[in-house]
Amino acid sequence: MQTFVTEAVDWPDSAPALREQVCALVVEHGERDPVKRANSWTKADPGFSRKLGEAGLLGMTWPAEYGGHERSQLERYVVIEELLAAGAPVGAHWIADRQSGPLLLRLGNEELKRRWVPAIARGEAFACIGLSEPGSGSDLASVRTSARRDGDGWVISGQKVWTTGAHVSHFMIALVRSEAGSERQQGLSQFVIPMDTPGVTVKPIIDLTGAHEFNEVFFEDVRLPASALLGTEGEGWKQATAELSLERSGPERYLSSMVLFLELVRHAEGKDDPALMEMVGRLAAEAWTLRLMSASVAAKLARGEDPALEATIVKDLGNSYEQAIPQLVQSAIDFDDADAEILRAVCFYLLQVSPSFSLRGGTREIIRGIIARGLGLR
Amino acid sequence: MSDTRRMLAEMADPLFADLGPGASEDCDLSRLEELGLPLLLVSEDEGGFGGDWLDALTVFRLAGYHALGIDLPALIVARVAEGERRHELMAFARTAQIAGALDAALALSVGYVNERQQFDRALGKFQAVQQSLASFACEAAAANCAAMGAAQALGRGSAQFEIAAAKLRANRAVEIGTTVAHQVHGAIGFTQEYALHQLTRRLWQWRSEYGNDAFWSRRLGKAVIARGADSFWPDLTARTD
Repeated sequence: MQTFVTEAVDWPDSAPALREQVCALVVEHGERDPVKRANSWTKADPGFSRKLGEAGLLGMTWPAEYGGHERSQLERYVVIEELLAAGAPVGAHWIADRQSGPLLLRLGNEELKRRWVPAIARGEAFACIGLSEPGSGSDLASVRTSARRDGDGWVISGQKVWTTGAHVSHFMIALVRSEAGSERQQGLSQFVIPMDTPGVTVKPIIDLTGAHEFNEVFFEDVRLPASALLGTEGEGWKQATAELSLERSGPERYLSSMVLFLELVRHAEGKDDPALMEMVGRLAAEAWTLRLMSASVAAKLARGEDPALEATIVKDLGNSYEQAIPQLVQSAIDFDDADAEILRAVCFYLLQVSPSFSLRGGTREIIRGIIARGLGLR
Repeated sequence: MSDTRRMLAEMADPLFADLGPGASEDCDLSRLEELGLPLLLVSEDEGGFGGDWLDALTVFRLAGYHALGIDLPALIVARVAEGERRHELMAFARTAQIAGALDAALALSVGYVNERQQFDRALGKFQAVQQSLASFACEAAAANCAAMGAAQALGRGSAQFEIAAAKLRANRAVEIGTTVAHQVHGAIGFTQEYALHQLTRRLWQWRSEYGNDAFWSRRLGKAVIARGADSFWPDLTARTD
């Protein structure tokens, strides 16, 4: 039994130049406050996203016809790992660039592709994903928001919740029930819903740190044209779950607390403290391993494989790592020390947001259930 | 995987399975020598097998997977290194053996829970058991990736950082791996008769040999701190770019 077969990742020759380009951009336009650089892929800065678009760093792998730059998947991987390691505020475009754009290119009709994809690549159109509902969290197949036919078009009614970035997004790709009376995974379809359509209302949900990242989204008889249907009617479940390997194994699954690790290293500089050395060594080894694992999945995706089990393993290990860093730092560092001020601020911020790391994108329990299925236990 | 490496694996796998934990140098070394395995890393010019570090990973991992009773990795490494370098290369060898043994223990555990019935269903149908084994699978995967990363780095250079990181990561995987393997097996896994202990007792031994967690984490941490916070990420990516 070998659940994770790695092969050498063939890093692109352009990697060093891309890294330099990203670093220069982050130095000029990024965030300096270490607290704000933590968990940076949820921090929306539309201005920064537009800078990336201008630099050709969004929609990197997409066809030029749709505003893309026809770079390789691994070139894109280099760019996103650099952005995350630097704590750049990439939240505004993150979902659109990672999955909405590729999904539109794969399944969208010409009208949808023309309308949204070039704008995403310019860093001007942002997306959110409509999955969870008040009665439908981990049990996603229980969604009740409905789409009913109305002449040539559709009418959407219902509610989504925990929708990250809905308040800065221009459109949502929502999973809804398009066949009345259908059960579970049957009868679901995906729709592209412009957020300025009459009948769409976004209400903020403030998280425990006081931040506004996720929302409730209400649909009151929202009329959409026939072209708003994404892909095939009734195939929504298959379409929505096919993209999950992209979502689960990226560097955002292990780098959310990297800024705290780097501050820990800074704190340890010149101290010659064996306990700090051991902690830094342990966390460095884990970062090195996770980077290999995440990149290895990216290389398989680039070859057109679907390493679903490996991707899920990366998410579980990565999330545990991101959560362990603030716990370990708190356990070891005396925050009353004057020189621990930055470390303390970043650590307390991450302690508060880190519970979300093993909830977003599939809870730890769901993820481990998927791994168990991969092992042949279900 | 290259053709020669696949051939190597197809040769070593059944042989190690046949020799198993009971093999000894006195009785069985000749069978390894017939295939040229102790000379795996000696160049062909010098009459060796001429294998590279990925070949070594394959053989070391299989030695771990089958809990081979002969310390073949030590014989292989002794032919090409001594002193401090030998210690580092043996740490890499134990990393690969841990990776293999964890995969074998995971396979045994999954097989056992699918077979063993309690409360009228297979143990593997219980969510608590599934979740434990999922954690184990993650740790086994991490150890295997770490071993692979170290082998690749050895192909590029001295790999001091990577060997330290890999042995440390594999050492840590031993804890969850052995704990879960024994827990899901129940009492049968605790017997001399059942094969699990051939793997788990070696895993505990290999975690200590050629650098325990404290040894490698201190060495690695010292090096990272000496380079400074701002060098960590650029150094990490420069290792593979």
